Amino acid sequence: MNKIKPITWCALVALLPFIFSSCEDYLTIDEVENRTIATDYYDSPQKLEQAVVGVYVDMRRALLHNHAWLMYGEGRAGDLTLEVDMMDDVAAQRLTNGTLPLRQLTDWGYFYDAIQDANHLLEKLGPAKGGLLSSYQYNLYRGEALALKSMAYFYLTRIWGAVPSAEAADRGTLLTQQEVLTRCVQWAAEAKPLLPRLLLNDDGIVSTALTEVRFNKTAVSLLLAHEQLWLGKGQEAYDGLTAVFEGQGTDSLSNFGLSLGKDSDPDITQQPYNGNPIHITKEKLEAIYPVGDTRRSMFTIPATGTTASLIIAKQDLLMIYSTKEINLLMAEAAWRAGQLEAAKSYLTTAAAGATENYALLTAGATENYALLTAGTFADALLRERQRILMGSGQRFFDLIRFDKVGQFLPSYTEGDLAQGAAYWPLSAQSIQTNGLAQNEYWSN
Amino acid sequence: MKLLPKDVWKFTVAVLASFAGLHSIQAQEVLVLDSLPATNTASLENLLQGQAAGLQVKSWTGTAGSQSIINLRGLHLNTTDESTMPLFMVNGVPIIANPSAVTGINPLTYYSAEQIERVEIIKDIDQLAALGVQAPNGAINLIIKEGTSGPLHVHAHAAAGVDYVAGFDAGKDAFYNYHSASREAVYAKQSLIQRQHISVDGGGDYGSYLFGMNNYMASGAIKDAGFQRQNLFVNAKYKIAEPFSIQFYTNLALADRDGRYAGQYNRDLSGTEVADEGFFMDDNKNVGLLSSMDLVYRFSPNFHLRSVAGLSYETAGRDLYIPSNILDGEVLAGSEAFKRQMLSVHTSLNYTHRFSELLNLKVTVGNQIVNSDYRITAVEGMKGLESGGSDYVKVVTGYNANQAKAYSDSEREKLLSFYGTLNWDYKQKFFLNMVARADGSSLYQNKWALYPALSLVYDLRGDTDLPARFKVGYGKTGQRSGPEQYRGELVGLGDYYGGNKLGITQLYAPFTDAKSVDIYQFDAKVDVDIQSYLRMELGYFNKRYRDFTYMRFLPNIQGLDYAFETGAALQLHGLEMNAQGQWIRRKAFSWASNLNVAAYRNSVTELPADLQQTSLTHLSALTTGDRISSLVAYEGSQSRIIGNGQPELFGGLTNDLRVGKVALGFTLTYSFGADAVLESYESAYVAEQLQAGFPMATGETAFYFKNDLGKESFRYQGIERIESVDFVRLGRVGVAYHFGDDLQKWKIRDAALTLTGENLWTFSSYSGLNPEENITCIRKADLGYTGTALPASIVLGMKLTF
Repeated sequence: MNKIKPITWCALVALLPFIFSSCEDYLTIDEVENRTIATDYYDSPQKLEQAVVGVYVDMRRALLHNHAWLMYGEGRAGDLTLEVDMMDDVAAQRLTNGTLPLRQLTDWGYFYDAIQDANHLLEKLGPAKGGLLSSYQYNLYRGEALALKSMAYFYLTRIWGAVPSAEAADRGTLLTQQEVLTRCVQWAAEAKPLLPRLLLNDDGIVSTALTEVRFNKTAVSLLLAHEQLWLGKGQEAYDGLTAVFEGQGTDSLSNFGLSLGKDSDPDITQQPYNGNPIHITKEKLEAIYPVGDTRRSMFTIPATGTTASLIIAKQDLLMIYSTKEINLLMAEAAWRAGQLEAAKSYLTTAAAGATENYALLTAGATENYALLTAGTFADALLRERQRILMGSGQRFFDLIRFDKVGQFLPSYTEGDLAQGAAYWPLSAQSIQTNGLAQNEYWSN
Repeated sequence: MKLLPKDVWKFTVAVLASFAGLHSIQAQEVLVLDSLPATNTASLENLLQGQAAGLQVKSWTGTAGSQSIINLRGLHLNTTDESTMPLFMVNGVPIIANPSAVTGINPLTYYSAEQIERVEIIKDIDQLAALGVQAPNGAINLIIKEGTSGPLHVHAHAAAGVDYVAGFDAGKDAFYNYHSASREAVYAKQSLIQRQHISVDGGGDYGSYLFGMNNYMASGAIKDAGFQRQNLFVNAKYKIAEPFSIQFYTNLALADRDGRYAGQYNRDLSGTEVADEGFFMDDNKNVGLLSSMDLVYRFSPNFHLRSVAGLSYETAGRDLYIPSNILDGEVLAGSEAFKRQMLSVHTSLNYTHRFSELLNLKVTVGNQIVNSDYRITAVEGMKGLESGGSDYVKVVTGYNANQAKAYSDSEREKLLSFYGTLNWDYKQKFFLNMVARADGSSLYQNKWALYPALSLVYDLRGDTDLPARFKVGYGKTGQRSGPEQYRGELVGLGDYYGGNKLGITQLYAPFTDAKSVDIYQFDAKVDVDIQSYLRMELGYFNKRYRDFTYMRFLPNIQGLDYAFETGAALQLHGLEMNAQGQWIRRKAFSWASNLNVAAYRNSVTELPADLQQTSLTHLSALTTGDRISSLVAYEGSQSRIIGNGQPELFGGLTNDLRVGKVALGFTLTYSFGADAVLESYESAYVAEQLQAGFPMATGETAFYFKNDLGKESFRYQGIERIESVDFVRLGRVGVAYHFGDDLQKWKIRDAALTLTGENLWTFSSYSGLNPEENITCIRKADLGYTGTALPASIVLGMKLTF
């Protein structure tokens, strides 16, 4: 037998540490081509901006699928109709009849997708502060993430009432509407100072077109005031709105809507307005917009037939916060803060300028709002919100906030509304996967 | 090979090898291939059909160049061909053996039977643990022939014949019901098979050499479709110096398969008949290369270093053009390219230590690196043509797609392993094998997994009159779990702001606990020599699988659709029996037989909690003890087991007879215990809710499948029949005439005239043409995963050795 010399063994043993030392590095593949993996992807401002845009796209999905923005608003309120199968069911408050589009409308998944996107973005933004991003970019992206999250929760609680938290600290905990709104206000208030009035494009130049499709100071201020009004904090809303809008020229203001575009999900329409006009019955049109009201020009009114159709001025945008709403919210905030005269003034201004943008005031309503009293102001404001914001999807939410659901939808009794009839039923998926119980009204 | 060896035993072995093509030694662990072809197909796996207990080779299609489904004690939670396929190696070098999704050409066609010396079937845990995570489903090692010592030898083999779909019954053809007018016409009455092989070898003190080439062409049972393969190979061994030797092996293959629209791929024709496919193109081309270099350095007779580097490489390209007369006024063109490479380096130190005359120890320590890189690029475009003009005008107008789809992806993986084995041998009676392997994979954040094994052998032959040997073994191995899930993945949601901005989000979060499936295996077997003519081996194995990776669907407040997790457990156990008989061994007459039987049972031993919220929801009808291979469907609103997709008793019987210069051999294969579910062509609809009950057509079952279309939409598919697919098949039969010394005057050392037949007869109650035609055991209404009819073939050949 030939023995191995000890020195040979020593050499072999000495080799082992070298072999093992770099194993971990060797087994880590840093470059993964043609695949967007989560680890280490966000290494440039452009990639972080993709995550920002992702939140907008998921919000767009939430509001566009099955014409959700309209169904949650004027569709359910019975003001506007679309030629879709579920329309009759929605208008007749048959929200649990089991058809696929309705089942999809009862599911809140897209809103929570947007919340997850926003939280994911906020997590990724932390390490990028001061390094990867300029302070403008950091503030903008963070402000957008907070505002979009606030908006998503705000929609959720207006549609379903009490909804679960998707925050890491208490994920799955069912929050009352008060709790949801309180958080919404906190996030929007945090976003407000971060967001600019006007956004810069990739070349560093102010872009009104870009500002219109991204959260800006006008939009977040309106969102915050809106949420505060839901919470009954009129004075805070009034103070906030006044600070932002008092004395501002129109150049610093901007609409805010979701830019329409191609979605990777083929079921999400790119052109929600094409080929399927939004109708209103002539009878309802006459009731809402009496002869002489210039807002009738928002509709194409054929000489024959029983319906008119809503004119969509900007076909490439799903409007969320129009500058038209500034005076409406100012009026409401002033009224709820106990300043009726100021409120009437804002309402008059809003009514007068409703057909054009904020700068061009023309005669609108036929009513004289200077004669309103504390007892009649709410109805007038609600009516003007209906007229001015027609098609924005806010009508049913306004009915809830003004406690007028029973008045406009008499099929609901006080008892029904106490059981939660004003809110949408939960989808089977929402109930099953979150361990929730169906809304008391819809479970019957 | 000597034609008529004087030794009767060698003579019988020669007969065995000549006509069944296979002969087993060491209790069916090693299958020896002779130079005569035993299969008329180009697919090597068909040689193994029915030859080893536990090895299933499922002939699901007659499309030439396709791969049969190969299973060697393989099981998986989501059973697919790949998830249960054994590891294939050539001279110990791992190779890419599964067909690429692009062309479907079988990489096991890159080698001809004449190149293979023997096939090692590796099932025992003490050998599998040493292969680690590469071989959860066993391993098959093809040992390539080397040049033989002496002056130059030339081997030539040429064969030609026909294949045909025997007694084609259009009514039984799964495709026929779908396209009744066109189906029968696409089958050729007969089509040509031809093959040629030539090799040259020699050897001496310097080493040995062997090189040659092969050609195989089959027109295929389907008209205008066909397969051909050419390959060149060289195997050279050179002794550089006394302690140092090197061996090079290279095999370069070109494979080409043409497809036909009707009857081969398409299950979705808009019309019932395609009159002219003259402009149709489905051209599949593969280039396969295996190159290896094996270095051995002997420090001493007891100590040597061995390093083997291998490169398995394949490009697969498919060009597709569908003219407008098929697509009703539109043309479609596409091109796909898939490149796969696997680079491996395996280095080991081998030392044998003799403690005494009684006790020996063999030590092996080594490491292995396997890097794989897969890349795919595909472009496809479609254009609708203006109306008017004949279809052929539209065709030649050409393709100028205005809507092109492009796809590109790549997947890389690194595997780094260290292992050691200790093989103790006491008095040549007790053998103790100890194995440990550490595998590190780039697929996981937690890189390393340890796979130990232990086996004990007791050979009674020396001590007692009982001619038996016992072996038990226990150990652990593993199976990799899919892509790089631990990294998480982002997806594009859509465009924004005039299409200038892309929105992205997370598809799923990183799964940092990703790991391989753990497989714990127990083996026990005994082999007994009964007199001198019968050797029997009886074995039991039990494989327990734990920690599969699956998706858990998240609550819809999570914003992510799913997260990965590991869990679930399965069991596969069974009995294997192999009987090798040498009944008569006389010079004028000999008869040998081999019978192998495998009786398997798989079962679920653990399922995740809240199964409905996982990607395993289709298993909801199963409880502990049920077969994972159960076929599950709905009846009313209840999910029920309606059949079993895996055979529970299968194997083969081979007999070889020789009378004078004439030899006859045949192999029967059989399979029992599996079912097929035949979907209805009529009872299917998409509906939001099941409002109508099944059956929707008369004479169908009350069962149906529910296929999730996403977004709470479902497709309901009725089931026409559930059938047994038990069968017995005369897989291969061969007759040969050996000329003996008759041709010596022409310097021909060996010559034989052979006639081989394949798939000549199948006995089964299955109503289709081939009881194995359904890959998933479900004959789907769209005929996806269903093969074409299996043709029979008869080939006449001549083999010469100079």
